[in-house]
Amino acid sequence: MSSLAIKVENLKKEYITKDSTLQVIKGIDFELEKGEIAMLLGPSGSGKTTLLLMLGCILEPTSGRITLDDEIVYEDRWILKDTRKLRREKLGFIFQAHNLIPFLNVQDNVTLLPQLNGIAEVEYKKKAKEILTYLGIEDKTNYMIGSLSGGQSQRVAIARSLANDPRIILADEPTAALDKERAISVMELLRKLAKEQEVAMIVVTHDDRLLPYFDSVLKIDDGYLTKTKASETKLH
Amino acid sequence: MFEDVKYQIRNVEGVSEAAAMTFQTIQIPTSLKQERVTAVGYEIGKIGKPQNIISGRELAREHYEIVVDTKLGFKLDDKIPLGRNIYTVVGITKGAVSSSGEALVYISLKDAQQLQFLASNDTIRSDRARGIKDTTSTIVNTIVAKVSSGYSPKDIAENIKKWKHKSAYTNEKQVEILTKNVIEKSSKQIGLFTIILIIVSSVIISLIIYTMTIGKIKEIAILKLIGMPNIEIVKMIVQQSLVLGFLAFVAGNIFANAIKSKFPKNVQLLPEDSVGLFFVVVLVSVIGSLFGIYKALKANPAQAIGE
Ligand SMILES: Nc1ncnc2c1ncn2[C@@H]1O[C@H](COP(=O)(O)OP(=O)(O)O)[C@@H](O)[C@H]1O
Ligand SMILES: [Mg+2]
Repeated sequence: MSSLAIKVENLKKEYITKDSTLQVIKGIDFELEKGEIAMLLGPSGSGKTTLLLMLGCILEPTSGRITLDDEIVYEDRWILKDTRKLRREKLGFIFQAHNLIPFLNVQDNVTLLPQLNGIAEVEYKKKAKEILTYLGIEDKTNYMIGSLSGGQSQRVAIARSLANDPRIILADEPTAALDKERAISVMELLRKLAKEQEVAMIVVTHDDRLLPYFDSVLKIDDGYLTKTKASETKLH
Repeated sequence: MFEDVKYQIRNVEGVSEAAAMTFQTIQIPTSLKQERVTAVGYEIGKIGKPQNIISGRELAREHYEIVVDTKLGFKLDDKIPLGRNIYTVVGITKGAVSSSGEALVYISLKDAQQLQFLASNDTIRSDRARGIKDTTSTIVNTIVAKVSSGYSPKDIAENIKKWKHKSAYTNEKQVEILTKNVIEKSSKQIGLFTIILIIVSSVIISLIIYTMTIGKIKEIAILKLIGMPNIEIVKMIVQQSLVLGFLAFVAGNIFANAIKSKFPKNVQLLPEDSVGLFFVVVLVSVIGSLFGIYKALKANPAQAIGE
């Protein structure tokens, strides 16, 4: 067991359409430690979402190698067959708000994965209660998603991504829909979780003010990626 | 068959009584509309008289008296015009229906033959023109016979079949024939309707489930993205379809029971039919969700992220 949560080697992705081939990722390498929380930066259309989708085994890369939690999942083709099993057991996803299931209540949204993973009911309910309490929304346990505010549903989305005890959390602009205070409290929370539970996180954000909550910065530009320490990174 | 067959039947050993009967479908004017009924013609004082009279009496005179079923809504002494004559209601039965569910009315054999003659005037005229003798008044549908004690109805039926070349049925056989022929025929028609209705409802359920699934394609993509296996997604869709089917089943049953008395024909709603329908509903719901399932399985988890 290494201390690495994510290892990416010479990863490439091109989108092939009828009349053109778009090289979005042109060969990138980086590593992320367990418990490390990284900011993913880059201009719009630079391939941030594309990279997260590949790391989440949702989008097939063109070539290269991806190792997650010491397991090679991709090496020029999918090595791991049941990628959905990996997702429900080891990965957590957070997007912009409203990626919850509207016909389930807060608790059912949060307990969906542990339920599928065969965790006992008392256990996952207890865990959901813990997480929701931790996020300050335990009073919303039985609310329907539609009745929540933007900040509340974003916290439910975070709760859902934590409920299966993931080793890696991939977050695509999780704070975009939130005001400054809420964005900061969400970041504080994510950082705390990363440290306490040794969860590696990659968080896409455009918000410079959140830089202090990260360990490192992954900057993607023109298909290439550079990694720097957050403390040594000057934005702009 | 000719009416005089009854004399032959009477002479068969072991037969104590034999009488002719006719059956015909006629329309009678009730207070609301023309109602289709089955008119039974029988020989007064012989076997074949109306059962289950709840008020009044059976026929006593050879002409223009009628016994009707209570379902038709007549009172004693009501006058009903049939053919060229006015009939008087002298008795009322309860629950007298034909095998196809029409209410029964009873008139004398003579009246019945006269009515039949009126109804089939054209046929008879053309028969006459072709030189066929006028036989209307002696034609009947059936001869009913009573067996003396000590004789087996089955043996006598065999006997009549052999020597008189007529089909003869015992009571049990009669029931069997009725269910086999009359009911089977009408149940074939109903079966066709049922199949059409089932196909139509399958299509409707498919459309509903399909539309509902398309409407939830983003949620399905999210579920796939966070790692829900296909089997669970399929289960969800089938469950939804079953819930819909079950609600429709309950509503349909309540509705059917509420309006069955408004039907012109006697409708029997049997619990076993309901059970059968339940299984059909389950099957239709599952089949109806196939299209939706197909769409759901094709959904791309990456769709969850886009707008
Ligand atoms: N499915 C696709 N087919 C073709 N091109 C795509 C597809 N998805 C994204 N792209 C293109 O790839 C580039 C990177 O997109 P994306 O990863 O969404 O960028 P970002 O998240 O950094 O804004 C964009 O130019 C986009 O138009
Ligand atoms: Mg993006």
